[in-house]
Amino acid sequence: MTDYKDIIIDHYKNPRNFGSLDNADISMDESNASCGDMIQIQVKLSGWIPGQARNDKTVIEEMRWRGVGCAISTAAASMLSEKIVGMNREDLEEFGEAGIVEMLGGEVNAGRMKCATLAYRGLLKIFENNGN
Amino acid sequence: MFDVNKIRNDFPILQRKVHGYDLVYLDSGATSQKPESVIRAMDDFYRNTNANIHRGVYEMSVESTLMVDGARKKVADFIGARTEEIIFTRNASESLNLVMYSWGKDNINEGDVILVSRLEHHSNLVPWQELCREKKAELRIIDVDSEGKLKIVGGEEKLYEEGGLRVRLGSLDKLVDAKVKLFSVTGASNVLGTLPDTLTMIRMIKERSPDVKVLIDASQMVPHMKVNVTKLEADFVAFSGHKMLGPTGTGVLWGKKKILSKMRPFLYGGDMIGEVKITGSTWADTPSRFEAGTPDIAGIIGLGVAVDYLENLGMDNVREHEKELIKYALEKMAKLEEEGLVKLYGPRDIEERGGALAFNVINVHPHDAAQILDSFGIAVRSGQHCAAPLVTSFGVPAMVRATFYVYNTKKEIDYLVDKIREVPKVFEV
Repeated sequence: MTDYKDIIIDHYKNPRNFGSLDNADISMDESNASCGDMIQIQVKLSGWIPGQARNDKTVIEEMRWRGVGCAISTAAASMLSEKIVGMNREDLEEFGEAGIVEMLGGEVNAGRMKCATLAYRGLLKIFENNGN
Repeated sequence: MFDVNKIRNDFPILQRKVHGYDLVYLDSGATSQKPESVIRAMDDFYRNTNANIHRGVYEMSVESTLMVDGARKKVADFIGARTEEIIFTRNASESLNLVMYSWGKDNINEGDVILVSRLEHHSNLVPWQELCREKKAELRIIDVDSEGKLKIVGGEEKLYEEGGLRVRLGSLDKLVDAKVKLFSVTGASNVLGTLPDTLTMIRMIKERSPDVKVLIDASQMVPHMKVNVTKLEADFVAFSGHKMLGPTGTGVLWGKKKILSKMRPFLYGGDMIGEVKITGSTWADTPSRFEAGTPDIAGIIGLGVAVDYLENLGMDNVREHEKELIKYALEKMAKLEEEGLVKLYGPRDIEERGGALAFNVINVHPHDAAQILDSFGIAVRSGQHCAAPLVTSFGVPAMVRATFYVYNTKKEIDYLVDKIREVPKVFEV
């Protein structure tokens, strides 16, 4: 049961930053079509003026999330919500799938990568659809 | 009559270990394992016969053509059909798409209705959604009850309109009128195992729409029970070769000759033409018209040998064996359900279901449950099983599914039940 390390079980049972933000700058939805998992992510940003494109100075200040998911996707969202504070676009892209695997204890079954990256894929949307 | 231990010896893969445990393969609904005879037939073909079909007058080309013709005959006999009515495809999805492109595009018009059910695999739903949207036709979907059986009469009717597609959902009785041009339905649910009474439904529909065409998705039927296409009273039957002990890359569409003969080709290219001139071409007769290009020759030959294997076992014996397994599994799982450990989905009556068992471990996501079971060597599928509208109608995002076949045993079911007990323990801190 290499994938279910204590840290994963901990974040799964006590997810951090679970819920919603009253004053979110952006909300994003992401889902896994094959398993029905869904996540809504809300973030507060700095270095960004609403209505204008997010740029290299835009930094994630706070993240809240909610949704239904398995232990892997839930733990990954919970851990990411702490990790990504202070990250800009470049930091987030550099973090990548390798960062997720490392964060989850260094081993993720290939069949579960979609679970592991659900929240991360949602976060990348901050820098897409720019200006919304 | 049915010595499962002898059968198991015919499947080399059942010898392998997974995470140090004996493999317990419970995902034949996705694809079945292959017996030695099928593997060997394909290997022999590549070693000794390999040549393209219908292309050469030389010995090997003639041999491989005869082998493909022979496989077509075996498949035809297996389902009570004529050889020219058997079209080889890559899989059942392609068979269903073939009907959509070659028959649907020319025969479904604005205001017509295509009728399906909520049990459908995405491959028997999405093509019809797209065709209805394109043709401004209406898609009607027979809803399921809480046991996963199709609703025949009564209940509420719902109408949806989204993105240019009109969808009506309700019981069969409310959805059938003279506008129904195609009834495309599964013969056995790939998720819940439900065996809809297609014959009664077809007769009911034909009373109100005599010219309706009927397509049966028999992907979960042909591998598991005796099927005779004439008795199904259908016009088209689609199924996969790889779910019935045959190789991947093989599927079948059966269609009535008089309908196939009027259909346009599916793909254009080699081997499907009559005469080709610079200014245009004519089409070969069925089945060649629908089999452009070099087919999966080795795969088709393997499929023929898979049919031999099943014929040898006897399809009535196959069905009996699976009924015994599902009965046993349901009894065992019902006990777990009483203990509050699992939730079961699908009909409880053995006569109304095939060998697919959908369940969830309480408070555990199906992906987690499946991965924990995998750590004990058990292969089950988790997710939406390419049937999202069905799965979500039970108020859950996903399910775990165990499917049984000729090589599965009661001992494996005991092992599954035993290991399901281990699943929640992983999350106890």
